[in-house]
Amino acid sequence: MALGKRKAAIQGDSYNVKYGFSLKKDPGIFILSRVVIIIAIILIVFPILYIFSLSIRTKATVYQDILFLIPKAVTLQNYKDAWNYAATNLNVSFLEMFRNSIIASFSSIIIAIVIAALASFSFSQFKFKGKELTFTTIIASFVIPAQVLLIPLFFILQKLGVINTYLAVIIPYVGFLIPIAVLILRSFFEEIPKEIKESAKVDGASDIRVFLQIVLPLSKPAIASCIILLFLETWNEFIFALVYLQNPKIQTITVAIAKIAGGKYIVPIGMYGASIMITIIPVLIIFLVFQKWFIAGMTLGAVKG
Amino acid sequence: MHLFMEKKIKSQDKNINFGKFYRNTLVPYAFTSPALLVFIFVILSPVIFSLILSFYKFTGFDSNFFKQFTGFENFKILFHDKFFWISLRNTFYFVIASITVQIALALIISIFIFFGNFKNSVLLRTIIFFPAVLAPVAVSLAWRKMLEQDGVVNRIFHLSFPWISSVHAAIWVVIFVSIWQWTGYNMVIFYAGLQSVDREILEAADVDGATWWGKIMRIIIPSIFPTIILNVILNLVGSFRVFDIVYVLTRGGPVHSSEVLTTIMYYYSFSANGPNKMGVGSAIAFIMFAIMIIFGVLRVRFLKRGV
Repeated sequence: MALGKRKAAIQGDSYNVKYGFSLKKDPGIFILSRVVIIIAIILIVFPILYIFSLSIRTKATVYQDILFLIPKAVTLQNYKDAWNYAATNLNVSFLEMFRNSIIASFSSIIIAIVIAALASFSFSQFKFKGKELTFTTIIASFVIPAQVLLIPLFFILQKLGVINTYLAVIIPYVGFLIPIAVLILRSFFEEIPKEIKESAKVDGASDIRVFLQIVLPLSKPAIASCIILLFLETWNEFIFALVYLQNPKIQTITVAIAKIAGGKYIVPIGMYGASIMITIIPVLIIFLVFQKWFIAGMTLGAVKG
Repeated sequence: MHLFMEKKIKSQDKNINFGKFYRNTLVPYAFTSPALLVFIFVILSPVIFSLILSFYKFTGFDSNFFKQFTGFENFKILFHDKFFWISLRNTFYFVIASITVQIALALIISIFIFFGNFKNSVLLRTIIFFPAVLAPVAVSLAWRKMLEQDGVVNRIFHLSFPWISSVHAAIWVVIFVSIWQWTGYNMVIFYAGLQSVDREILEAADVDGATWWGKIMRIIIPSIFPTIILNVILNLVGSFRVFDIVYVLTRGGPVHSSEVLTTIMYYYSFSANGPNKMGVGSAIAFIMFAIMIIFGVLRVRFLKRGV
């Protein structure tokens, strides 16, 4: 029930045309809404287009443009330069950065979802002593600012000898992702009708089989949304990757890109734009392909309780 | 005879009890134990470790952290550090701006799109939401270039204001960039909340000749009040832990004027040109943790009640 409502919120249309703002009846708010939304769209779109336009300008025309957005001469040289600059000056190529981000991100997502799904199944399926307390502790860790753990985890991971390996970020990420995933998956699992699970149990299925063959297949949409949300959390993560991955060869994209611009050397403006675009473009493509899931995932994390 | 029966019942009870124990304790905890173990090792024990560390003096190079107990020395250092107070104030600004300005903007935009009869409201929502999926690092880098003294913002307005190297403006610029990135996220959550506004009441208000201003203030905002609270809590938690944007845009500068709690903690503990006092860093973590517990209690209560 609640699920349907939220789906409508994400994919559905706006308010019924008949009862929304109309130009005839309420011209004031009708025009105001147009003005506000147009300003908002310009404010959002302009910086993105501007950086894109920077990235395709030739060196000579960096400060020459029409309406700040349209370059007078176009080139792809900046992308080549950025690509080469990373490989020679940062000791890590863009391909390696993407590989590192993919490894760190996806291994932690997979581990976190498996663990969270098991726990969520338990919370939705059984009544047991300490259930409330266990659930509360797991989701309460959601609000602890991750930075609080930065110093102690550093020493713990150092003792384990995993600093400067992928595990140095995968371990903390798994810890941060589980509460988010539990929050989403538990409420989904609870919306699966009891009768389906009960009838399977009558037929002699074990708890594990109910989990694997009934609950999981029915929750594919929830798991998809969950993966997207966790993907954004880990793909965009910065501080842990910055401190725990000192070896350039395994640095993730966010850390490496911050180095290009925040580094000691001033890089040409076109190359600067190109390196930002190289990091944005993959996310943009994924966003456009899985648009519905993105908004669903990000609001589910917040709205589902 | 009677005694015998009683015994039999008792032993049956025992069997039932074990079955019950198996069903009601063993199996559920077997499923939750991986999550609990991760919680203990990755969250709980580091938090406790950190709380203890804040009473010790040590640098990143010491092999034994518990060599030098200093009592409240780390906290004293902080209380005498002007930049710590600046960072606390800036974090406070951040939190206040994100729960007032950002929420007001998101609310206005979501109401306008929802009731605005736009032809392609899905596209509008998608565009406004888009910055929320970008890495804060990439967003900050983009804005950093645009806000340079010869950057595009100054060119558009024919100014030459040093946005990110001004002691007074830097923190507000950082807050602006954060609002730019996250308003769309709040907007989408409001949009979900607006679905629950009762249309019959709105129609009834129409019949009574209510204006849109009246309907928004008297019907729409009260009926999405839970969503407003949810957004407030999300922004509270989110803006309290902001790091990336400050680090990339200003590095806490100029002269620590745009430092927030997380960046000053990084400065004390890990920064290459910082004092390398991890004990003090842990003390900042302690303070953040204490403030967060208060928010946390609120948030958990809210989450459990549901929206």
